[in-house]
Amino acid sequence: MPHTPLYIVASPQPRVGKTLIARLLIEYVLSTDRPLAGYDLDPKEPSLIGFFPKLVRTADITDTLGQMALFDQLVANDSCTTVIDLGYSLFDQFFAVMAEIGFEIEARRRSIDPIVLFVTDSSRATARTYDELKRSLRDTNFVPVHNESASFIFAQKDFLPSRTEYSVIRIPRLSPVVRGVIHRPNFTFRAHMEDQPGGPSEVQSWITAIFTEFRELELRQLMGRVTGSIGTRAALRTREAG
Amino acid sequence: MAKPTVILVGADKGGVGKTTVARTLLDYFTAHHVPTRAFDSESPKGTLKRFHPDISEIVDITSVSDQMQIIDTLSSTDASVTVIDVRAGLLSPTLRSLRDIGFLDAVKKGQITFAVFHILGSSIASLNEIEDTSTFVADSKYFLVKNFINNTSFFEWDQATHASYFKKLKDAVVLTIPKLNEMAYEQVELASVPFLTFVANRNQKGEGAHYSFVLRGYVRHWLGNVWAEYDRVKLTEMVDTSGSAAAASRAQIGGRP
Repeated sequence: MPHTPLYIVASPQPRVGKTLIARLLIEYVLSTDRPLAGYDLDPKEPSLIGFFPKLVRTADITDTLGQMALFDQLVANDSCTTVIDLGYSLFDQFFAVMAEIGFEIEARRRSIDPIVLFVTDSSRATARTYDELKRSLRDTNFVPVHNESASFIFAQKDFLPSRTEYSVIRIPRLSPVVRGVIHRPNFTFRAHMEDQPGGPSEVQSWITAIFTEFRELELRQLMGRVTGSIGTRAALRTREAG
Repeated sequence: MAKPTVILVGADKGGVGKTTVARTLLDYFTAHHVPTRAFDSESPKGTLKRFHPDISEIVDITSVSDQMQIIDTLSSTDASVTVIDVRAGLLSPTLRSLRDIGFLDAVKKGQITFAVFHILGSSIASLNEIEDTSTFVADSKYFLVKNFINNTSFFEWDQATHASYFKKLKDAVVLTIPKLNEMAYEQVELASVPFLTFVANRNQKGEGAHYSFVLRGYVRHWLGNVWAEYDRVKLTEMVDTSGSAAAASRAQIGGRP
């Protein structure tokens, strides 16, 4: 059965580019004509929904009803790629609920692959949080994201992906002028890619590089499942032969 | 002959979660494949029977005929464990009755394994209740249960007060029932199914239900923590699994000289 990715763009720190990364990821998935559901979990500044008003829903997990509205729907979305922009203020609560309700077990049962795109920064506290989270959610994939615009320094040893086939996703730094362009409310990366005649602009090259990272991530996920499946079958054959 | 186990769940005031604790015990023994029956003394309506209709009977614990229904069938029932949910306020009177009919003597002689789950209230009055109950449970397992399911805050006994009461109860064990999400608890109440059945997303008929995954998750997590407490005090070791009392009794009647 095909696996359905559930991307959680997260960081315990504010203003590291989570919403931008969620936007890019949503537009990448849309460019592949796959069904998608988006959630904006930033109670203070829900900005992702402003870019995708018909596609993204807000969610408030501070009470049980809000948790039910979100997580009950997430396990039901077993045929639709999901992207969550997790506001930093809900970081702890989201993962605590996820662990307590046994979300990983249900996700595995429904062939949903939770993948945390963890946006890194240079603080030791963030590195510790990353490590603790990986240990508490062992069945969830963790892929570090280095947003060069938010933090120039990246300590690779502090942010190892949860699986060897994954690598860090790099979001290159943008010039301030271009940053202003992409943050306009009506700006879409896809439309910009289609509308610009002539050679690639700085923005186009930037978008292409990031979409390539996302494509590579998906291929590595697929390779990981195929390798895992081969390994399982080989182990079964060995057991049967023995 | 297999020794029957009797567990009394009681409190001296209402609203402390006594029936909830009884329900977790029934689920615990079900999950461990221990044949269990229950008596609900909240006559005439009976809350426990609503959740476990197949294994519960409503009784009036003060009536002799209903006492006979419980005690006289301990050897003949197929159930290895009998759970009695005692109406609030009747814990001490029930223990007194059990003493008067010779039940506690049978416990003392090792013919029956007896445990009392005393669900505590939040005030210092509970300490007096413990003192009253302790006179009846010398040869039994005595569990003092702090039930936080209702978000109760318990009176913080100072060390000296705590020691003065608890030194009289050398073998008493404190159990903690953690808080359960209120909405999850309410949904289980509405569904009127055992906690285990709710987690399995089944209705009263055993058919697939549509309970919230989140609420089922909260109940599963909570029940796991409650059972961890029961594991900690080795509750299953109280049960004689060498065969049900009835099966052993039948073998005695049929085969032995």
